[in-house]
Amino acid sequence: MGMEVQFMFRYVECIDAGSEYCPCYLAEHGECIICSQLKGKEFCDCLNWSGTCIYQEYLWNNEKGKKPRQFVKCRILSKQYIREDVFILKIKVPKSMARILDNIGAYVFLRKNNDDVVFSTPISVAESDPLAGVIKVMIKVNGIKTKAIDECSDFISVKGPYLNGIQGQRFIRDVNNGKMLFLIRGTAGISALMAAKKCIKDNEIDVLIDKGRHEKNFLEDYFSEVGCAVNRLSFLDEKGLSDEGKYKIKEYIKNKQYDVALSAGNDGFHSQIINYINKIDENIKFATVNNSIICCGEGICGSCTLSGISNSSIKSCKQQYNPMELFLKADGSDKICCKKDEECKL
Amino acid sequence: MKVVVIGGGWAGTAAAVEAKKAGADVVVLEKTDLLIGVGNVGGIMRNNGRFTAAEEMIALGGGELFNITDKCSRHVNINFPAHNHASLYDVTKVEPEVRRYLYKIGVDIIFEGRVVDVEKKGSKIEGVYLQDGTFIDGDVFIETTGSTGPMGNCVRYGKGCSMCILRCPSFGPRISISQRAGVEDILGMRGDDSYGAMSGSCKLNKDSLSPEIREKLNKDGVVVLKVPEEDVNMDKLKMKVCQQYALKEFAENVILLDTGHAKLMTSYYPLEKLRKIPGLENARFEDPYSGGKANSIRYLSMAPRDNTMKVIGIDNLFVGGEKAGLFVGHTEAIVTGTLAGLNAVRYGIGLKGAELPVSLAVGDIISYENKAKETKDGLRKRYTFAGAGYFERMKELGLYTADPEAIQKKVELLGLKGFYNQKLV
Repeated sequence: MGMEVQFMFRYVECIDAGSEYCPCYLAEHGECIICSQLKGKEFCDCLNWSGTCIYQEYLWNNEKGKKPRQFVKCRILSKQYIREDVFILKIKVPKSMARILDNIGAYVFLRKNNDDVVFSTPISVAESDPLAGVIKVMIKVNGIKTKAIDECSDFISVKGPYLNGIQGQRFIRDVNNGKMLFLIRGTAGISALMAAKKCIKDNEIDVLIDKGRHEKNFLEDYFSEVGCAVNRLSFLDEKGLSDEGKYKIKEYIKNKQYDVALSAGNDGFHSQIINYINKIDENIKFATVNNSIICCGEGICGSCTLSGISNSSIKSCKQQYNPMELFLKADGSDKICCKKDEECKL
Repeated sequence: MKVVVIGGGWAGTAAAVEAKKAGADVVVLEKTDLLIGVGNVGGIMRNNGRFTAAEEMIALGGGELFNITDKCSRHVNINFPAHNHASLYDVTKVEPEVRRYLYKIGVDIIFEGRVVDVEKKGSKIEGVYLQDGTFIDGDVFIETTGSTGPMGNCVRYGKGCSMCILRCPSFGPRISISQRAGVEDILGMRGDDSYGAMSGSCKLNKDSLSPEIREKLNKDGVVVLKVPEEDVNMDKLKMKVCQQYALKEFAENVILLDTGHAKLMTSYYPLEKLRKIPGLENARFEDPYSGGKANSIRYLSMAPRDNTMKVIGIDNLFVGGEKAGLFVGHTEAIVTGTLAGLNAVRYGIGLKGAELPVSLAVGDIISYENKAKETKDGLRKRYTFAGAGYFERMKELGLYTADPEAIQKKVELLGLKGFYNQKLV
């Protein structure tokens, strides 16, 4: 485990590196995550080669970053409430955007037209149809930003595409003809829908879903429709993982050799799940829904900053890390602080 | 005892062969899908002092790779401006021979295995990480990753990526293991005080040359063509790595050598200008693919070392080839790589590293280069048995000879016969 845990912080990975949005503002200002020559150095020290030379791209682009993602006014094709506080929007977006959003971890910023940019809220994309140029998002109203979006009827401003909605993505992508365990609690499960759709083709997916305070979690049907085996339970109690939660998880893991577990909940949930599962089977890798506060998606505002080992810091809106490094406790001494201690029940 | 060789070029393969002979388990980690690196587009052996060096190595018992290049030679004992008794090997034949030999003697090779990081404990390397996260542990490490590129460096210090045989866009960039392990790289310089130097030759596709030139190349191995007066450019000589070929003759003439490709002894040559030369009207580049524009930049990444090839500051890391200094050439890579291979195993079993005596050219170049690069002036020079300043030194010190028997005797008298044939483990 020792070597593995070091991995992500050793290898810095930027979700946008090598894409059409690379090099970005960060490179332009000497703050590139990947390229040493665009981080103030004068020699190559490529840690995580993304397949293309970012420095070369930068020079070819007249020493400027590429045109950044901007808000576009998009038509809302339909709006449907599936619970009094949860609604689905189908939005017509440019096909090129829909193409990239048809991927694990996809999210967009949504904002009511004419609202100040501070109202931009990152929302996971549940489904994307690149041929039609239509995306489907599910939104739970629980605050000022989502209330504003609820007021949209014909049009909405969309900024995207962004892909860092799931951390530890590579662990899901690397599995072929394998077995995955999804643990869902709350609306974070929306972010797991795309992963289920993409992975079910070649893999077996078991979903353990928390019914929450309602009769059942509204996401259950979506998971079973794509082919996942869904089971309902109550994960947590006041102390942490409930007995039912622990029992069910252990039972599942003992019965199957899972390659990866995707945790879809808040950070406290991630911590519970990862620490518990790792004790049962240390070979299982983890992916988590990214709960960082994301305001710009470009690594500039700093809202999403996480502190890592030896004072390194991570822009979690752009950087991929290994969730084990963030959430796994080894004697509590090297637990990495995600600045949200109050959510962690362990 | 496990020896890990990082970089499967001429220096790395030489180190691997020697370490295997000495009895260690050896694995070579090679970034691309071919061994011998730039050796795949090289081919010049035994010219001037390299003849001496090759024979010394054979007499010392480290001649396996020289036997292969000799066997694969298209031309032997030819002369071209300022160079005598050269052998030109066939670049299309050598690599598979070397690969088969390494497999035959039991060396493990991991292709497309690019090392990206190092795990250290104190001043010892415990292992290295490949780009896919695989951890390779070992007792001793030999870094023979060369000093070329990667892309961003060729962009900053050269004329951009020329799509050379090292194929960074396909296989990823070279990283400096020694630097990653905490020892700062030394950078070579060139005349105008900028860093690095450009690789000194490119290759033309033989089929794109006129039948007359092709025939002459096949027959004689050398073709010398005049550069139109308006295009003679002396300045380009200052840029190149290969000072032994940075002579007036090479600026006023286009010198082609037959290595299977038509090796053009200049860093690069704008295609429009090249095609003005009779016989080259249809010429195109074989290597680097963009040889009309640029060539790769070298010497940006040398590790400080002692004369046993051990890196200063790390207990169990040895270097060879361009990683070990401002050396030019396959011969020089094999010479330094072989010594690194032997001393890696010696270190592994607790023996002190061995130095070659300076009464042999192969020993003298190692200590001479190390001392010379302490000065800025020395950093601007290159060290090769084939020419530049070092060949002159060889002649002055009486080290140069093209007499194999005399060399055999000399090595025997020094008590070094079989020096590279000892089984230590």
